[in-house]
Amino acid sequence: MRWLKSVALPSLTLAMLPLPAILGSPQNRSFVHQQRYAMGTVFEIVIYDEDLPRAEAAARAALDEVVRLDGMMSNYKPESDLSRMNRTAHFQPVRIPRELYEVIEESLFYSRHSDGQFDISVGPVVDLWKAALAGGPLPTAADQASALRCVGYQKIELTPPDGIQFHSDCMRLDLGAIGKGYAVDRTAEILNASGIHRAYIDAGGSTMYALGAPPGGNAWRVRLRDPSRKLGPEVMLSNNSVSTSEQSAPSSLQGDAPGHIIVPGTGKPLQTRYAISVTAPSATASDALSTTLLLLGPTKGAALVKALHNVSAMWIASDGQRTIVGDGVSFFLTGETHPIHVSPLKDRIAATSKTATELLP
Amino acid sequence: MKRISFLGMLFLGSIAACTPVTAKVFLRVEASPLPPADKTGIRDVVLLWPLRDLSVAAKLHSQGYRVFLQCESKDLAAAVATADRRAVTGMIVTNTAPSSQSPAAEQLRAYFAAHKSLTFRMLVPGGKQPQMKGRLVVERDGVLQVSSPSSQPWLDTNLALVRLAQATDPDSLPIIYDFHWYTSEALPDAWHPDAEAYRVAIAEADAIRSDVTIDLPGSLQRALVADDPRAWKLWKAVMPYLDFSSHAAKERMLPVVNLGVIVDDAQANYEAINLMARHNLAFESVRPSSLTLARLSSWNSVAVFCPLSKEAVALLRDFAASGGIVIFVNTHDEFPWHSTPPLRQESRATVYSVGAGQVVELAEPVVDPENFARDLRRLIGRERAALALWNSLTTLVTGYRQQSRPNITLYLVNYSNQPDSVQVQVQGRFTRVRLESPEERCCVSLPFVERGGFTEFTIPALRITARVRLDSAREAPPHRRKKG
Repeated sequence: MRWLKSVALPSLTLAMLPLPAILGSPQNRSFVHQQRYAMGTVFEIVIYDEDLPRAEAAARAALDEVVRLDGMMSNYKPESDLSRMNRTAHFQPVRIPRELYEVIEESLFYSRHSDGQFDISVGPVVDLWKAALAGGPLPTAADQASALRCVGYQKIELTPPDGIQFHSDCMRLDLGAIGKGYAVDRTAEILNASGIHRAYIDAGGSTMYALGAPPGGNAWRVRLRDPSRKLGPEVMLSNNSVSTSEQSAPSSLQGDAPGHIIVPGTGKPLQTRYAISVTAPSATASDALSTTLLLLGPTKGAALVKALHNVSAMWIASDGQRTIVGDGVSFFLTGETHPIHVSPLKDRIAATSKTATELLP
Repeated sequence: MKRISFLGMLFLGSIAACTPVTAKVFLRVEASPLPPADKTGIRDVVLLWPLRDLSVAAKLHSQGYRVFLQCESKDLAAAVATADRRAVTGMIVTNTAPSSQSPAAEQLRAYFAAHKSLTFRMLVPGGKQPQMKGRLVVERDGVLQVSSPSSQPWLDTNLALVRLAQATDPDSLPIIYDFHWYTSEALPDAWHPDAEAYRVAIAEADAIRSDVTIDLPGSLQRALVADDPRAWKLWKAVMPYLDFSSHAAKERMLPVVNLGVIVDDAQANYEAINLMARHNLAFESVRPSSLTLARLSSWNSVAVFCPLSKEAVALLRDFAASGGIVIFVNTHDEFPWHSTPPLRQESRATVYSVGAGQVVELAEPVVDPENFARDLRRLIGRERAALALWNSLTTLVTGYRQQSRPNITLYLVNYSNQPDSVQVQVQGRFTRVRLESPEERCCVSLPFVERGGFTEFTIPALRITARVRLDSAREAPPHRRKKG
């Protein structure tokens, strides 16, 4: 879970904004805003509700759940269920918590549909490059080959309802590309169950989910990453999710600095000029798909998106070139005179879809 | 931006600052009653000048407080003349007026020298409430999310502000910084700030080793006086942190650094240096005129944000030749190493090999401070870093070395309000590693390993703050700075 994405300038700009001036005074508060550090990022929840104590309690419970899931799915915490599984599931079945099983099951769905471009078993290779990204030497070809031997989602065997086994002696799973999305979905479920129907959940700016709409609006307006800084892309969310993904910014000091997204097939950092945003009914789906579709690129990625239901994807290159596909929520390019619709705005999806099969046409 | 303009004045006006021996926490209070000092755990209080009721200072003094008055520099003489000299310990001077209306630095220095019975602090305004921030900008009718590939938490920290203010002469005036609490998200019926916010602010000042002024809201002050149990519950959660802070080492210590930052325009380069601090690059900043061979001997890397004299360039050439790394930002100057072809030419950087070291020239100013700090960290590498943390994105670490012994004390602050396991690497070999915190007090021995000249250990669950004492069996070598 600690394979973090780099911080780009827009986030810095955002952090420098005079927040209090925007938020208004405490006296006319109608919302709750809480945040919690978990999974190496900041989870934030904004709730509009007439019953602020209820909203406070719901937000707290939801964020507690994120922390609990972090304790379960972190590959950085040696005592986590994921770490324990990574130590013990080689050539022998072990039992894992239901939530961990669900995430791995859904991960395998995306692995199969992306021909292995999305692969949670890429952990050993990721760790090699993570060390390089943190200032260590670049991994040698031998190191890479050795780590690549451990990769391959086909070597993961799931046995319902909670069994798992690795058919490899060095396999290690890393849920960094999907775990935050799963946690966001769990958060939405808890809020829903608490009677909260107007909420916005944000996991570090890379995966967001909107429950209902803010007062006076039909949806939550979300501005998306635009590496060209020309298009002003936005999306209107209501009971659905958007995730963004982008390779680390190139180093200004070192040409050979690696990026954080690794191509499972080659074991090397992805070279791409695109940033991608993906909308989907669930945050688990949008999180997994954003990495998958960035790895696939617009040509191959479009085919995958078209095979899914209620999913939209937008690739934007640094020069402003974009590709938008899918039948999910529309993207708007506010930098243009007329907004571009992926499709006419459809009826909002009623409930959070959590399982991969529900995304199939 | 008050902070920026004041930083500019600090440099231009030569009001110099030094690293204080201790980091004291001053509570800025209303000029109204306060429970006695032995009950609040507060030692130093600040009253804003002018005072409507001059007897307040005497009353607070009689309750066991050291009382400071805060005034603008133009009012300093009047405040000193009017204040009850028996009740007032010192003055905190703000200097935000246009330079033509404020006393020159030399005048202030002379004034301070003439009033030795009083303690003076120069206020560095414009600090921020230390906290971890998310990314949401909330509007009343919705949320506008500027999305980016960022997943990392943002820390508001005052480390760079103070480091820049300290970047001056050794015979300078002591500084103090302050900030204002964010109040926007306070629920109407809740105390704001909460105990966690006070604790982080106190811990940060301890780690920065700088005095700080923290506002005590009037509502809380009045509730404490009225013996409101909720107010006391909050304050009693803060008091152990005040106490812990007051037990830091008293002797003068030197910051543990490996990176020198040469800067003359704090305003233009503030954000880059802020992000360097945020990424735990162990640095100290100096003005170009303060660059000496002795200074360089403390560093293995240098970042240059301003034009340099020929003499300074020659020093840096020798520094690089002996294995150092030098990064010039936004430079188009001709340098001696240009006589040989560059090692590499990147889109925005040119890299030269100079002896055993390296010089990197960036032709542009820093446009992405976050990325620059990360790049700098990569370029310096782990083997050169005096201090490093792993997997601790919400923690800042500072290190200080005793003058008399090579022992090191690390100060850690976790801004996330979420206990975190912090892995630490410190350059050097040590015989003992001990942890103390407001919760554990002194001291818990930590297991550690030595690897390649570095000492590594883990703090299992850093709550908000901790000090780690690393004891060395060796005697301190003669301090290198004194040679130059």
